Amino acid sequence: MSTIPRAYLLNRLLTLFLTVFIAATLIWIIPRLSPVDPAEIMLGRMAAGAGAVADSEAILAQLRQNFGLDDPLFVQYLKYLWNTVTFNFGLSTATFPTPVSALIAQALPWTLGLMILSLIITFFIGNLLGALMVWEKSPKLVRVAIPAAMVFTSIPPILSGLLLMWIFAAKLRWFPLTGAYGLTVEPGWSWDFAVSVMHHGFLPALSIVIVTFGFWALGMRGLMITVQGEDYVTLAKAKGLRPRYILYKYMIRNAILPQITAFALKVGLLIAGQVLVERIFAYNGMGKLLYDAILDQDFPVIQGVSFVIILMTALSVFIVDLIYPFIDPRIRHEVTS
Amino acid sequence: MSDMPLTRAERKRQRRIRRFDNPWLNPKLFWGAGLLLAIIAVGILGRLFWDPELVFVGSGIPKMPPPGFENLRGQSGTFANPLGTEGSGRDMLALIIIGAPNSLYVGLMASLIGMSVGIFLGFTSGFVGGRTDDVIRVLSDVMITIPPLLILVVFQSAFGDVTLTMMALLIAGFVWQSPTRLIRAQVLSMKQSGYVQMARLSGASTWHIMFKEMLPNLVPYLFGSFIANVTTSIVTAVGLEVLGLGPQRIPTLGRTIYEAINAGALIQNLWWWWGIPTLLLAVMFIGLLLINLGLDEVSNPRLRKLKL
Amino acid sequence: MSALSITDLSIDFPTTKGVVHAVTGLSLAVARGRRVGFIGESGSGKTTTALAVMQMLAEPGKVAGGSITLGETDMLSLNEEEMRKARLSRVSYIPQGAMNSLNPIMRIEDQLWDGITAHEGTTDREQLKARSDEVLESVGMPARVGQLYPHELSGGMKQRVCIALGVILTPDLIIADEPTSALDVVTQRHVMQTLKDVQDKIGAGLILIGHDMGLMAQSVDELAVLKDGVLVEHGDSRQIIENPQHPYTQELISSVPLVGGDSFLDAEVGAPPINRGEPGVPLLEFKSVSKTYGNVTALQPMSFALDGEVPKIISIVGQSGSGKSTMGSLMLGFNPPSTGQVLFEGQDIAKMNAAQSLEFRKQVQAVFQDPYACFNPFYRVNHALKFPFKQFGYATSEAQVQEKMEEACRAVGLDPSLVLGRYPHQLSGGQRQRLIVARALMLSPKLLIADEPVSMVDASLRATILKNIYDLKDRYGISILYITHDLATAYHVSDYVIVLYQGHVAEAGPPQEVIGNPKHEYTRLLIDSIPWPDLDRSWGTPSTAAEDAERLDRLARDNKTEFRGSVSGFDLELS
Repeated sequence: MSTIPRAYLLNRLLTLFLTVFIAATLIWIIPRLSPVDPAEIMLGRMAAGAGAVADSEAILAQLRQNFGLDDPLFVQYLKYLWNTVTFNFGLSTATFPTPVSALIAQALPWTLGLMILSLIITFFIGNLLGALMVWEKSPKLVRVAIPAAMVFTSIPPILSGLLLMWIFAAKLRWFPLTGAYGLTVEPGWSWDFAVSVMHHGFLPALSIVIVTFGFWALGMRGLMITVQGEDYVTLAKAKGLRPRYILYKYMIRNAILPQITAFALKVGLLIAGQVLVERIFAYNGMGKLLYDAILDQDFPVIQGVSFVIILMTALSVFIVDLIYPFIDPRIRHEVTS
Repeated sequence: MSDMPLTRAERKRQRRIRRFDNPWLNPKLFWGAGLLLAIIAVGILGRLFWDPELVFVGSGIPKMPPPGFENLRGQSGTFANPLGTEGSGRDMLALIIIGAPNSLYVGLMASLIGMSVGIFLGFTSGFVGGRTDDVIRVLSDVMITIPPLLILVVFQSAFGDVTLTMMALLIAGFVWQSPTRLIRAQVLSMKQSGYVQMARLSGASTWHIMFKEMLPNLVPYLFGSFIANVTTSIVTAVGLEVLGLGPQRIPTLGRTIYEAINAGALIQNLWWWWGIPTLLLAVMFIGLLLINLGLDEVSNPRLRKLKL
Repeated sequence: MSALSITDLSIDFPTTKGVVHAVTGLSLAVARGRRVGFIGESGSGKTTTALAVMQMLAEPGKVAGGSITLGETDMLSLNEEEMRKARLSRVSYIPQGAMNSLNPIMRIEDQLWDGITAHEGTTDREQLKARSDEVLESVGMPARVGQLYPHELSGGMKQRVCIALGVILTPDLIIADEPTSALDVVTQRHVMQTLKDVQDKIGAGLILIGHDMGLMAQSVDELAVLKDGVLVEHGDSRQIIENPQHPYTQELISSVPLVGGDSFLDAEVGAPPINRGEPGVPLLEFKSVSKTYGNVTALQPMSFALDGEVPKIISIVGQSGSGKSTMGSLMLGFNPPSTGQVLFEGQDIAKMNAAQSLEFRKQVQAVFQDPYACFNPFYRVNHALKFPFKQFGYATSEAQVQEKMEEACRAVGLDPSLVLGRYPHQLSGGQRQRLIVARALMLSPKLLIADEPVSMVDASLRATILKNIYDLKDRYGISILYITHDLATAYHVSDYVIVLYQGHVAEAGPPQEVIGNPKHEYTRLLIDSIPWPDLDRSWGTPSTAAEDAERLDRLARDNKTEFRGSVSGFDLELS
């Protein structure tokens, strides 16, 4: 009874598969549509940079293999797809011959950590505030002041990041300006390192949280207004239930359901926003990796990072979809009844 | 005196009542539109009253602060550059006059194209049904999870420089999904509604049903979706610019921020360099949000509580 | 001893257009163990009064004067927390929309338990379980229902859960707000019986809010008639039903159509029928038409031919899910049949070319159930009249269109200057439905499909609108297919009646036979289940819900049809 219906599961798996497939295909096709050959640009840059490119022959071979210039197109495509699903994105040209996957493996935990933390915090705070804005028993301050403050949450995190960075890092010097941990601490499971990580992570996380909670709060407000008018809330009141209990069990629990669906639709944009925040804080995650790769025209890294971030997005959506039936019993019975 | 002048409170009350009767007259919509129009006005009037040539590199002394402030070198600002200059001597005011409308242009253009595609696909999906519907539905579900920024990063890295219009077109490829989904859902529910059935009974063509019966009722939703897409498009465009991509030869707000960060403007306390474009973008986003909130009140009457 | 006494109660709603007095000077007492019916139309203040007792008036309503005393307690002096404790334990409320009254994501038993916990603090699972099982059984449901979620229950079961909730803490007073309005007649009778039984058992007072005089007559001891927030008549229900004093009460009682007795239509006698059909060719013909959705059969194969020469009203009667609305949409060509053909004047409507299709639309029109939905909110209401008139090429000039619209409005008793220029939300339900009838009249089709045309308008207007529709036949020669769940109106308006049950014709024939003297078990069950506003007529056989469910199940498998005679010009045949 409490298992996920098979049809639902298959449907979600299909969406996951298609998302990854289409993203991978786009990443493959786009460079081939370009009138300029990325491989040539890169080689040209390297040659112009200096004669110091010792391994230029090897890089050329690697690029040839990456862009698969020797095989027929169809074979190139299939090879590419196989390499992609096995996370084999080739070798970085900027830091030759480091595999792209190794660079990503280094950066990914930082991004994941920041992402999980900031997404969960914003989702929680945003929905709670949105609910309180509607709840008739909320203090007046919440119902009047919060909506007014909400206006500033339309700003993308990158702009709030700049402001916070200027105030708290450049002016007040409370927090470090850039990086994910101090240069003086040795990465590892030490107390110093943990403190340094939290100290460095605070501003990037805050710049995401303070501007994105508003999105959830506004959505929740609209949903709560709808739920407030539902008959079951009226009956809950007539049952003499305690107001807080009604708020949680009858209102929030129902209003949050479409928010979870919205999460799936919005997560891509949120992750993209975070990549930009990482870039301005030079945080050692995927954002910085991507930015450095753009500067160095390191095409294999750009492709790899883009693919992994899209994969992360698609997986988050998939996980949310898997959790959903456990929160809404109606989905569980859709097929059986 | 037969006509007693109304007291302040009474006038206020009357305004509220009028607003309640006509949801389009709400203050959020008014302020939001005002902020956006102000930015457009800066773009248009600025070209008339200020020299746009000052946007070129070396047209002034680099890193000059606005009048009344001093930079780290101890130079104080002059009215030759009322908003200061950036690292290579471009005048900030000229930069804004040229750059701000560019961001809006990309946003509006991308959203307009995305919207048109969305209306077309949404109606097709809702009316044709069957396989066509399945394909459109699954495609929009899939495409909505792919962040446009990353595909655009790949594109730009491969193609090099792009024009503003090209960037708008690329972004448009990622903002058709939500209007498609919205219109499809609305069309499906409206198809069952009494007035559409009545129109069918009245011998109305499919064309008439779509554009005369359904579309007028979709207007507030379409507007809302359009504005939301403008926001998404601008965020994406600015994101690209901050990564150093986007148009390379045209001044944009995002690119100015990119250059400021790269030049260490934050540590050197050159706040006007990155701060002014940031502020302008913030105003733009606040304007868009206000419009969207106002439109929400139009399409969801329950948000319109009359407090007396 | 009175459970509730209300003295001189007034309730105001301050709005933008001034203060609305929802209830004025209402005084009334409900004794323990007594059942009092509040009857009146929408906006009469009956629900508002009940909500005032619960202290749950919608914003910005407030009690402007008077007192409400429950037992010894002055309800208006209670603070919020005291009032919360009084709800459910001392006065319980059974809401109208049983469909949405239960939290969709909580199990039934959790929703019973949280009520107990909120008042008694009991959290012992065993004890809670025992109590919820007991109360579910007392309303005629197995205890395992507690494990289910609301969407797994039928409408009747959900309403029973709400009743179980209402009595779980044995309150002094139960307020039931139209508890059966969303249910079919058979279920309605059982749910009402359950409510009466449990109320008797706990000895609480009961306020039953409703608009159906028949249901009231069969359910309550005392009646309180409300109109525009004023209590116009109050007394013993027998006395009020048999000897109503106030003209409004008299109108309410006389507007209930009865089977047999005088027709409420008072049709003009001797009006010669207008012939509009073409001789020899049936106006509408079903050739072994059936309809299935997936593996559900909505309509079993059926053939009939309706001759349009002499206009007739054919009624299709059934409960929701009987296939009656499916028949309507098949006739309108909104839905293709799964097998067979629907022919209009000899032409298969699925195979018409554009010109034939337009002609078909000109000749076949409809009146739907929900008059609000039928108007596009974007346009003024005259759009709905003007557009088809022009589309069908009847219009010669703007002035002529205007004149025709005004004429049609007057024919259905509407003042054109008051309605035509308005937006749909500015008109009442009755006005809107009459406009739709006016639209049909203006287009003067040969055939009109009327799908539940009066089920969503106030009782006092039903007769008028049915009369308008009836006139279409007599005065304009329009044949009508009247789709309804209401046997009493079908009895009066129709020339022929078809009773549908699960897509199958149970009984068919002239109304005097089929409804006046039913032979088929299903028709009999339907008629027995109707609450008549007649205290001496018992409310059907005292069968239990389970017995009736079994009966219905057997009938669904039987597929038996009673033919009760025919009328000329309409031939029904089942294949």
